[in-house]
Amino acid sequence: MAQAINNWQADQKADLSEPKAKPKYISTFRALSGYMKEHRLTFAGFIACTLVAIAAELLQPYLLKIAIDDNLMVGKNDYSSLMLICGTYFALSISAFLFSYLQNNLLQKAGQSIVASIRKRLFEHITKLSMSYFDRVPSGSLITHVSSDTEAINQFFNQVVLSIFRDGLTLIFILVLMFQLDAELTLYCLILVPIIAGIAIAFRSYMRTTYQMARTRLSRLVAFVAENLAGMNIIQVFHQQEEQKKQFGERNNSYFRANIREIRTNVLFNRSYEVLNNLAIAFVVWIGGQAVLGVNGTTLEFGVLYAFITYIRLFFQPINTITQQWNTLQSATVAINRIWSIFAIEPDVQDQPKALSVDKDSIAGRIDFNDITFAYPEGTTVIRKLDLHVRPGEMVGIVGTTGAGKSSLISLLCRFYDVREGSILIDGHDIRDISQHDLHRIVGLVQQEPYLYSGTVLDNVRMFDESISREDVIRACEFIGADTIIERMKDGYDTKLSERGSGLSAGERQLISFARIIVFAPRILILDEATANLDSHTEQLVQAALERVSVGRTTLVIAHRLSTIMGADRILVMSKGKIVEEGTHDELLRLGGYYEELYRHSQGQHDAIEAG
Amino acid sequence: MDSQRILRDFFRKTWLAYVISIALHTVANIIHVNFPKVLGSFTDELKAGQLSMDGVARYSLTLLAIGVGFAAIGGVAQYLVMYTGRYFEFMNRRRLYAHFTGLGEKFYSKNGVGKLLSYFMNDVTAVRESISMGVNQTAGASILLVSTIVMLLLTDVPVYLVAACIFPLLLIPVIVVYFGPIIRARSLKVQEAIGAMTESAEEQFGGIRVTKKFAVEQTMRNRFGETVERIRERQLRLVRVSSLFQALIPFLGALSLIIAISFGGYLTITNRISLGSFVALTLYIRMLMNPLQQIGNVINVIQRARASFDRLNDLLGKQPDIREAENAVEVDFSRSGIELRRLSFAYEDGRDVLRDISLYVRPGATLGIVGRTGSGKTTLMKLLLRTYDPPEGTIFYGDTDVRSLTLANLRGGIAYVPQDGFLFSSTIRENIAFYKRDSELRDVEHAAKMAKVYDNIIEFPDKFETRLGERGVTLSGGQRQRTSLARGMIKDAPILILDDSVSAVDAVTETDIMETIREIREGKTTIIIAHRISALKHADEIVVLDEGEIVQRGTHESLLAEDGLYRTLHDIQEEGTRQHGTGN
Repeated sequence: MAQAINNWQADQKADLSEPKAKPKYISTFRALSGYMKEHRLTFAGFIACTLVAIAAELLQPYLLKIAIDDNLMVGKNDYSSLMLICGTYFALSISAFLFSYLQNNLLQKAGQSIVASIRKRLFEHITKLSMSYFDRVPSGSLITHVSSDTEAINQFFNQVVLSIFRDGLTLIFILVLMFQLDAELTLYCLILVPIIAGIAIAFRSYMRTTYQMARTRLSRLVAFVAENLAGMNIIQVFHQQEEQKKQFGERNNSYFRANIREIRTNVLFNRSYEVLNNLAIAFVVWIGGQAVLGVNGTTLEFGVLYAFITYIRLFFQPINTITQQWNTLQSATVAINRIWSIFAIEPDVQDQPKALSVDKDSIAGRIDFNDITFAYPEGTTVIRKLDLHVRPGEMVGIVGTTGAGKSSLISLLCRFYDVREGSILIDGHDIRDISQHDLHRIVGLVQQEPYLYSGTVLDNVRMFDESISREDVIRACEFIGADTIIERMKDGYDTKLSERGSGLSAGERQLISFARIIVFAPRILILDEATANLDSHTEQLVQAALERVSVGRTTLVIAHRLSTIMGADRILVMSKGKIVEEGTHDELLRLGGYYEELYRHSQGQHDAIEAG
Repeated sequence: MDSQRILRDFFRKTWLAYVISIALHTVANIIHVNFPKVLGSFTDELKAGQLSMDGVARYSLTLLAIGVGFAAIGGVAQYLVMYTGRYFEFMNRRRLYAHFTGLGEKFYSKNGVGKLLSYFMNDVTAVRESISMGVNQTAGASILLVSTIVMLLLTDVPVYLVAACIFPLLLIPVIVVYFGPIIRARSLKVQEAIGAMTESAEEQFGGIRVTKKFAVEQTMRNRFGETVERIRERQLRLVRVSSLFQALIPFLGALSLIIAISFGGYLTITNRISLGSFVALTLYIRMLMNPLQQIGNVINVIQRARASFDRLNDLLGKQPDIREAENAVEVDFSRSGIELRRLSFAYEDGRDVLRDISLYVRPGATLGIVGRTGSGKTTLMKLLLRTYDPPEGTIFYGDTDVRSLTLANLRGGIAYVPQDGFLFSSTIRENIAFYKRDSELRDVEHAAKMAKVYDNIIEFPDKFETRLGERGVTLSGGQRQRTSLARGMIKDAPILILDDSVSAVDAVTETDIMETIREIREGKTTIIIAHRISALKHADEIVVLDEGEIVQRGTHESLLAEDGLYRTLHDIQEEGTRQHGTGN
């Protein structure tokens, strides 16, 4: 039931447009078999334990048969051999106990290790993919892959594998023992197997539909209530309680009916199974009883009949359990297909085979955009033949309307995407030749919305890289003037940030992200609207920090507010993927073009208000 | 309220079903316990060589009859209890929902949707399970246990043998009760770990840009890897105890059987009990294992359900804070002015929100209220709508205190347009016609036109029948606000309250909308709350709220002439986007 709420929450996040995949069973096993091979010893151990456990379990009725036939039936006063049987029985039950315990633990050990390594591999693979992938795929569905899909694999091991081996082997064992006891009677009993399995399978598929119906109606009910709770204020103010109660009643009622159908099917199934079980026993008693009487010429020992009755009872449980695995198997297969299709995706942006390793500190910071053209895979051209050369240490401000190509320019320099035509050089190296790791250490980026991770302030500044010392972090924070704010926090640098820093103001978060820049010291710095959305309290601190951060670095600043870039060495105005105006603040004002218009706007008139 | 009410109400309705069910359970189990006995006497007759072919057939048919009888009668009993259990859910969910509709904002501000949903789903189900399982399993198992013992004693099996054989079995419920909570606690730990991993993935994918930019992918992988490893460890911890538990139960059954074979076998050899009794004894032992395990489960479920049960009772015991007075009256809002007499208000947590507010809005006039965030504007609206109770004798419609009006009259007389533009996941038409669901399409369209959202709506393929929300279209903030405005306008109520209702709408559309409102509200009382002055400058009277007090009042022109907050706000906003954002 808690599941229903989880599902509802997951539905909110998941990408519903994702096509439903058809399970492909064979490729699934091929995919997993590689992982299973790694744990072949554990699996072998698991199978061995299962065999011993089942044998120990199933030999118990056989022992009872011996006791009845050889000891009790003949009325021999041989108590010592009865004690021997008891001793063996005890030994068997101890080993059944021990080995079924081991069997479970071994399987889980292997299964959990496989799931853990798939999870890690999947995560690693996803983090290697290019930004274009993240732009395309909502993070909600990625999260589903990492958590729910891998959980389905977990269940595959927990339930499907366990059941196939345990219940499958149990069935085989029972059959072997029965044949051992009496082949003819066993053949009669075998008639029952397809009937039992047929009924179980038929009921399962019917139950699946009723279960799904109930689940759908439940999630509808949950969604309705969740929404009504959130909008209760509106319902009350419009005095619509009665109407909403009526609508709730309809959903509640339809869920109730689905429930009733579900339990009806359930009870019916369990009971028919039970009847079938008893029918089977009556059948065995009838056939077996005749045999004991020697009607057909052969005689059967009563103990054998007794053992048969017990085995027939034991027959039903495993068949039932195995048929239950179908659902799990199906969802696991779909999950595995989805995960492997992610593994199949190659990152768009890749390192060259012989990528250049460049020492960050040897970079002066010269950037050349040589006649670059760029278009997103699905869209129109965003940047056309743009030519721009930035001197080491220069500060360049970039303004322009939404869609002018400012952010794309930045994404290209960070090599989130590759240019279509032209090239981007840093100190004369084509960025496509530099390893991505080194490039990202050379070019730093501060975004409008600083992203903080859950963890301490200290770890957020050094990005959890423990090779960076605490002192370095503190020095960086002092340098940009964030130390007073941080020291005021509850545990200073060791303050745990809740929910990605939701307790901090936008300015405080931005200061932390500036401190990161100081610690990682990239040679080229990009500020992407880093001072938008700030409260006046921290605005000055951030402004001051920004000036300090940019000292000695080639800095590109994208800004909405002209105040942040007025002092830049050069200001570019971009429009439709091109640079249309270029110069210092004063030069551009004199030019009387778009920049001047923008400046006038920012000084007054509220016509910059955008449509909601 | 009586804390046992949930159960009393329920059992008052369903006691008959339970009585029948328990009776049927009793019958079913009494039939069932005959099974080993019949097999036992079959054995005895067979051994004595008294059995004929007819006898074998008779025995088989008897066994079949017992099996079918038990399955059928027991099935009906089980169905009855499960049915009533679901009825319990149905009934109490309905009751909870009705209760939810009565609770006020004060309650909702303290309780999040997630928490309330968990009452609604998990707690109700936990109690249902304990009722259903409790009755079904306890009745089934205890009747089976008693009748087995009786049956065994009726045969020639001595009491001490029965006691010795059953003793290990009686440990089963004890073990279940002992292990149950441990397993549960460990599996909760596993769930927590999975939750932590999901959160970590969420965080990493959300911040992938930053991670990539600092080239710290490896560090982040390690961080994620830790959460994965934690799941593994906890999963294995869980398995250690759960598989121990699972192996222990059959082991106890085996111990019982060993006692039966050694002790019972000895008695059989020495001819003190018959072979048939011995066979029956072993079969009874197998038969009892399951029900005894279930009794243990029931105890665990009931223990867990108790907390849920208490929570539900607490929740249902909460009195709605807004209640109609006993002899509530109705007024004609179109002829009533709105009067605030020295209204002061503080929330429960002691925050002083409004201080000494006196106001009079004559019927048909337009009042503007302006102020910064946190100045108390919205609280004032909540009091006017009585979603919070104002102190007695402070708010009057005509000459009637708002607290002595019927809620239907009050809320029918006022149309309210909130700032957040909350819409439901139904069609646009149903959302606009929220007040009167069977409104003509013509009226709905008209309202949409007035709220300037008509053009947006007809661009959707299904137009007014377009579904919103989860599986439908997502509207932008501005579109939502305008749809919510249409929902308020279609009501055409004597009083209209706009609570910052056009804050996400662009300036041009805002002007159009305010123009329309002026036209259609001619002669009808209107209150406009806004944070942008442009939305209310045409009001007959404007009051400026600051920190819960009226600091200025007058018309747009007179207020501009004064040196005060109004002019400051005006200047800031007219200066444009620099200080005060874009209104998004």
